[in-house]
Parts: sequence; C-alpha cells; structure tokens
Amino acid sequence: MANSNLPRRIIKETQRLLSEPAPGISASPSEENMRYFNVMILGPSQSPYEGGVFKLELFLPEEYPMAAPKLGRICLDILKDKWSPALQIRTVLLSIQALLSAPNPDDPLSENIAKHWKANETEAVETAKEWTHLYASGE
Amino acid sequence: MDSEDNMDDFSYEYEYEYDDDDDDDDGNGVYNEDSNETTTIHRKKYIVLNKDDIQQRQEDDITKISSLLSITRVSATILLLHYKWSVNKLQDDWFADEEKVRTAAGLFEKPIVHYQSSNKVTCAICFEEYTRSRMPAAGCGHLFCVSCWNSYISTSIKDGSGCLMLRCPDPPCGATVGEDMINRLVSEDGKEKYSRYFIGSYVEGNQTMKWCPGAGCGYAVELAVDTESYDVSCNCTFSFCWNCTEDAHRPVDCSTVSKWTLKNKDESENVNWILANSKACPKCKRPIQKNQGCSHMTCRYPCKFQFCWLCLSDWSNHPTCNRYDGTGKNKEIERKRKMAKKLLDRYSHYYERWAANHSSRKKAIVDLNIMQTEHMENLSNKQCTPETQLTFITDAWLQIIECRRVLKWTYAYGYYLPEDEDVKRQLFEFLQGQAESGLERLHECAEKDLQVYLNAEHIKGFDAFRIKLAGLTRVTKDYFENLVQALENGLSDVDTDRWWSCTHCTYFNQMSAADCKMCILPRIIPQ
Repeated sequence: MANSNLPRRIIKETQRLLSEPAPGISASPSEENMRYFNVMILGPSQSPYEGGVFKLELFLPEEYPMAAPKLGRICLDILKDKWSPALQIRTVLLSIQALLSAPNPDDPLSENIAKHWKANETEAVETAKEWTHLYASGE
Repeated sequence: MDSEDNMDDFSYEYEYEYDDDDDDDDGNGVYNEDSNETTTIHRKKYIVLNKDDIQQRQEDDITKISSLLSITRVSATILLLHYKWSVNKLQDDWFADEEKVRTAAGLFEKPIVHYQSSNKVTCAICFEEYTRSRMPAAGCGHLFCVSCWNSYISTSIKDGSGCLMLRCPDPPCGATVGEDMINRLVSEDGKEKYSRYFIGSYVEGNQTMKWCPGAGCGYAVELAVDTESYDVSCNCTFSFCWNCTEDAHRPVDCSTVSKWTLKNKDESENVNWILANSKACPKCKRPIQKNQGCSHMTCRYPCKFQFCWLCLSDWSNHPTCNRYDGTGKNKEIERKRKMAKKLLDRYSHYYERWAANHSSRKKAIVDLNIMQTEHMENLSNKQCTPETQLTFITDAWLQIIECRRVLKWTYAYGYYLPEDEDVKRQLFEFLQGQAESGLERLHECAEKDLQVYLNAEHIKGFDAFRIKLAGLTRVTKDYFENLVQALENGLSDVDTDRWWSCTHCTYFNQMSAADCKMCILPRIIPQ
C-alpha cells in the first residue's frame, strides 16, 4: 500500500501540520491515502472572504518534494516553475491564504471577475462578500 | 561582383580572430573547402564545427574570462552561461557594475548563510540529519544532503536545458549551481545530458551559429558576419540554407522557397487537379475520373449510379446528347474546369521540371559515389593514370550535382516571375534554356563518354576526353555562377547593352544577333 512506503519527510510534515497548524489553516491526510489531504483555509480577516471557509484538496505526487503538490486550478508561481523542494505544504497553503488577502487580477482564473474587479473594485468586493456568505459560510 | 576581395579579407580576419591564441594549427573548426580546388580561396564564408571544436571554444572563453576577471573557472562558466557566451557583453557589464552582474547570474562572492557550530544539520528537503561535512552547498552556503542534491539536479536535467542555470533549492536565495556540483553529484547519464545542453548553449546563444539540420548530424555551422550567401554545405554532405535551414536553394530567396514548398504540399493543387480532370457523380457527388473509352459511366459501390460522361444525365433514359444546348447549366462548371486546368497545367510544367532536376541530382549523387568507390581504381589501372590525376571526373560530378540544384530552383523562380514582365521572362527563359543545354552536355559527357574508358584500355583518346570534360566543367560552372548572380539581382541586367528588344515583335535578342530571332526582321537601332 502507498502509505507503507511514505518518505520520512511527508510523515514529518504531516505531524507538524497536525501538531502546530498555521493560523486559519487546517490540513489533514485522508485515512486511505496519506498523500491526499483535505484542506480548509479561513478567509483572512479584513478581506472580502472573511467569515468564509474554503475547502481544497491537495495531493502529493510520487516525485514530491522534487515536484510540487497538486492543487486545483490556482495561479500560483510556486506551484509551477517556481517550485522548490525546500518549500513545504505549509508554505504553499500560506501563499494561498495570502492570495485571498491580495487577489491578483492580472492572473485570474475567471476573466470576467478580473475585469469586474479592475473596472469597479468596490462593487466586485461586495459581490465577493455576498458569495462568501452564500457559498462558503461553512453551513 | 567585387566582393571576392572582401571574402578574402574576411577569411583572413577570421583566422586571426580565432586561431591566434592557440597554437594547435587545426584551430577550432575546419574551414569548409569546396572540393573544387579552384574555388577554395573565396569560399570560406562559413565554418563547420564538431562537438570537440565547440568544446574547445567554450574552454577558451572560460579561460579568457577566468583570467580577465580573476575568478575561478566554475564562476566564469556560470557567468558565460548567463550571458549566453557573449564574452564582450559580459566584460562590459562586469567592469561597469560587478555587483549587478553577480546578482543577476547568481554568482556569490562568499556564503550568505552560516550554520551554528553544531556538527549535525537537518536537510531542509528530506528532514534527515547529517554531519555537516557530508552536505554540499552552492556559493550561498545552503546545505542539503547528497541524496537530495542528486534528486534535485537530476530532476532539473530531465526537465531540459534550464538545468544550466539551476539555482539553489532555497527559494529566495538564487545562487546558481555550478558545473562542479553537477559533476560531483549526478550519475554518468545525467552528466552526459548536461554536457549536451552545455554544448548546445554555445550554438544556440550564438547568433552566427546553427546546428546542421541534416538527419542525425551533430555538426554546427558558423556563418561569416557579412556574407551575402546563406548556402552552406556541412561536413555530413548535407547542403542547406543557413537562414531558413531548408535545402540549399540559391538563386531563389527563402520566402520563395517556403511559398513553393507550401504549394507543393498544398491540398489546393489536388483540388485543382480533381476539378480539371474529374467530374462529380450527378447522384452522390463523389469525384470520378474516366478510365475507359466509352461514355457509359457507373459510379462506385454503394452508389452505382449509371450516367453519361458527356451530359451527366441518367443513362437509362439517355438516347443521345449530341444536340448542342446553349442554355445548359453545365456551362459555368465547364468554364471553371477549363480555368483550373489552365492554372494546373502551368504549375505542373514548373513542378515537373523542378522535380525532374531534383531526382536527377539525387541520381548524380549516387553516381558520384559509385564512381568514387567502384570505378576510380579500375579507371586508373586501365588508363595508366594515377588517381590523383582523375579528380577532374569528381569535379565534373560535383559540378553536375550543384548545377542540378540551381536548375531545379530556377523552375520555382520561373513560376513566380510575373507573367506580364515579358522582357524579363524572355531573358529568363533564354538564360534557363542555355543553362539546361549546357548542363545536359556536361552530364552526358560525364555519364556516357566516360563509359568507353571504363570498359576498354583506350589510352589514346583519354587525354582528349580529359580536356573536354574539364573544359565543360569549367564553362558550365562559370555559366551557372553568372546565372545565379543574374537571378539574385532580379535580372536587373535587362536594360544593359547585352540585349536588344525587337521593335516589331518585342522579342528579346542577344546583342550579337543582327536580325530578330523570332520575327526574322532586321534590328532597327533608334536614332
């Protein structure tokens, strides 16, 4: 089974994530596959996402840490060409949290939302707050 | 053209520039010499380099930079890779702002991290503890264990040439991993790949150098800076245009070649052919080509419709169709078909001749090879002539190969020559015709006349044959060289005093002709 041959690095990272979680971030491995993590990131305070709970799935490929962890479609340089084996799951999740505090409309997943953000930030922030309340309030 | 002197100057400078600082006289690469001895002097417009030549040049550059900037060879290599081997730019930048160059290239003067004096350090990649002495670091001092370094570098080498500028795994650090660490920490296989990228970086970073596109060829070709011709011939015998890396194609330019190549591949010519030579089945619309004499057509399974080839109506109620129907709706289709046929005929004319010369050239290459491997020794014995004195035969064949290539491309040239430029077209066709008959004469002499001497001991006529073949080779060579120049100049000689245009029929005559070759009327010289 995949779990039996888990590299020491992954075991240590997992232990540390569970024993000293970063503020506003929780990551726990799935029971069947220790390379598969369920992640929750709290919307940073004073951001439109405050009060929201954002769920992610993270997977450590066979080549990890030489290759980056696999996450959904997130435009983050350290998940692509800027990945380094000296980075960790924790650093990746902190970067994502930071992205929620300071979204980058120049590198968007949704072109329309980025346009809206650039044209009328106040309005876009309102929409983000609304959607956070509607879809990410954790209920 | 008076540029031959310049060519000489160039080759001289070239030799000076690259060979003066090392004493091995084979230098860094061999000047390509046309095997025809008479042309070697002004043909040194490019150099063919093999792997060793390139490595030698890299070594020389590293030595130069290392001593000039007083840095280690490893550091010099990092800088040169960062500067894509531009020695001059590197020097300028370095002496203008050393710090800036160091930062950009990731070359650290001294380590930026220092570990506590404790003997054990945790590797930040695998989280295992190791004694410090067993943990290498790049110039920055960030320690990682040997096994993680190995994986890190190997992964990067697998990913491509980016490994040449690999940085320390510590994210913000940016120190470049030098060649010494690569050699110390990765497998033989990885080292070999790295070395390939390393050599490649020199060719790819150099604006005047390209890899030969010949199949499986590992040579690179360096072009002289101000050369006018891009046609080069690699040591692997592949001739190509240095600019577009297609087959050599003087006298036509690269854009004509790409147009012509595209056209030859283009489906549209097939469409034209189908339009011109076939008719659509009136029922299933599939194109049909008539392959038997009678007009009773039967379409293929599953359609099986039977119709008349001439009027396309159902065969079963088709007594005759000989009566002319002026209002027929087929008239437009017929007009289009004729138009397409005309265009296609024109294209086929040029394409057939282009292709014929292409295969003729290929055959000549094979023939030359047979000549060299099978016949030369035999001929030498039969005619009591040393092989060294039979080079005129090889020269002739090389000339034939070159001429077939030129002639081939004149057909692409002709195809794109505007049809309304009558004077140019006439001149072009005249020159091309002369070239063709000249080449045929040479080709025949080298192919047929020679047979006699291969088969029998025929010492008497052999000297005359030598004079004839060598003479034909020289004349044809001169003619083709002039032809190439004339075509490359866009036939701008049209207005010179070598030609006169007939006032009666506008035909373009050679100056020596007193009467027009076309309408036989005498030349009238305007007052």
